[in-house]
Amino acid sequence: MKIDFVRSGGFAGLRLAVNVDTQDLPDAEAALLEKLIRDSGFFDLAEHIKSPSGGADRFEYRLTVSEGGRSHTVTVSEAAVPEGLRPLIDRLTEMAKGL
Amino acid sequence: MDHHIDPLLCIIPPHMLKNIAEKGTDAQKRAALAALSASARIREQRTAFIKAMVVKVPAAISGKHRAVYSANNLTSLPGVLMRDEGAPPSADVAVNEAYDGSGAMYDLYMDVYQRNSLDGNGLRLNSTVHYDKNYDNAFWNGEQMVYGDGDGQFFNRFTISIDVIGHELTHGVTQYTSNLDYRNQPGALNESFSDIFGSLVKQRTKGQTADQADWLIGAELLTMNVRGVALRSMKAPGTAYNDPVLGKDPQPAHMKDYVTTLEDNGGVHINSGIPNHAFYVMAVEMGGFAWEKAGRIWYVAARDDFNNTTNFQSAANLTYKVAGELYGVGSIEQMAVAKGWSEVGITVGVQPQPQPQPDGCLAAPVAFIRSLFSGKS
Repeated sequence: MKIDFVRSGGFAGLRLAVNVDTQDLPDAEAALLEKLIRDSGFFDLAEHIKSPSGGADRFEYRLTVSEGGRSHTVTVSEAAVPEGLRPLIDRLTEMAKGL
Repeated sequence: MDHHIDPLLCIIPPHMLKNIAEKGTDAQKRAALAALSASARIREQRTAFIKAMVVKVPAAISGKHRAVYSANNLTSLPGVLMRDEGAPPSADVAVNEAYDGSGAMYDLYMDVYQRNSLDGNGLRLNSTVHYDKNYDNAFWNGEQMVYGDGDGQFFNRFTISIDVIGHELTHGVTQYTSNLDYRNQPGALNESFSDIFGSLVKQRTKGQTADQADWLIGAELLTMNVRGVALRSMKAPGTAYNDPVLGKDPQPAHMKDYVTTLEDNGGVHINSGIPNHAFYVMAVEMGGFAWEKAGRIWYVAARDDFNNTTNFQSAANLTYKVAGELYGVGSIEQMAVAKGWSEVGITVGVQPQPQPQPDGCLAAPVAFIRSLFSGKS
């Protein structure tokens, strides 16, 4: 399973990104990511998830997950992240920071 | 009088009418409001505006009202009230920075542009500090300002730079005026407006003229660990930082370097470098305090002429037009606006063609106009 993750925007406008191939990860780490993706119902999420409340300077997340011939990209505002997706975004943000 | 043809409508731009309605005598206000309500050009704005004016008379007494909350490192808003308007300073430095910064910003809008808070009607300025843990961001959520503490490694607390506070508060002003879409060029203009007025509140607080100011955004925000002077530079976009971890400042200073991207809502924090630099050039060209003329031109243009889809070219044309209305066609100020846009690769168009006028405009009775300004009508 391949995961491309980009956090953009925010007041600072800094780009934070990580590309992951779960084959390259330790088993436990790969299993955790695959579980977070499954739990989020990732392949059923809308491609664009926007905040209805407007606002400015929120982060914007863009995730692409490719697995077994299918691929799905979701772009979501920080203000509109579905609860089920948040643990995955939190983990990928940490990985992008090298944590 | 015959309201079918309103002479005011023919010759006085809406922003002047609004100024009259806000600052004139009672008689002037009535006449200006009548003219505004007759204007087809501002049909979309007038309902909200007149509503605001009607409420404004008593609300003007309320004036500045700040409230600063703490999220206590959680994400629930607004959090716990820490300091309300008029209360003594808190022991928490971030609370006091949010309080003082939003106060300085209120004063800029009120004292210089006669705007009573974000909505023009004394809306309470709500701020929340200590949002989330190690949160590297500040934002406007559509209702209030929110500030993180920063991670301590690269970013300090976000209230530390007054221009960040001015930036967030100005997102509120934009929401209540042009409501520029937060995407692509309108979004980059929205961002640029926030940087411009964020920088202007810093300059006004420091008493700096355009040539004395550093034109940096977030200078105090970066820790000593970052190779850079700030997050953005209006004077020299693209040069604010170049760091092994954070990367290089991606802002363009010219249309030839415009960045097309799907990220960041189409690069709103990136391409804002272009109008930012245009503003810097014209402010320095005009000289003196940048909030007095350059700031006024942009504020009035955005308030009266921008809409949610205004792009860079139309912003150039409209700021040029407003500069002509405020300071005279061919004035130093108007030429400075043209030069600012030219330096970033945008040529201001010829003055927009006059809109079709209602019949009889040319016969507008001068006496009526005089009576308006004499305050005797």
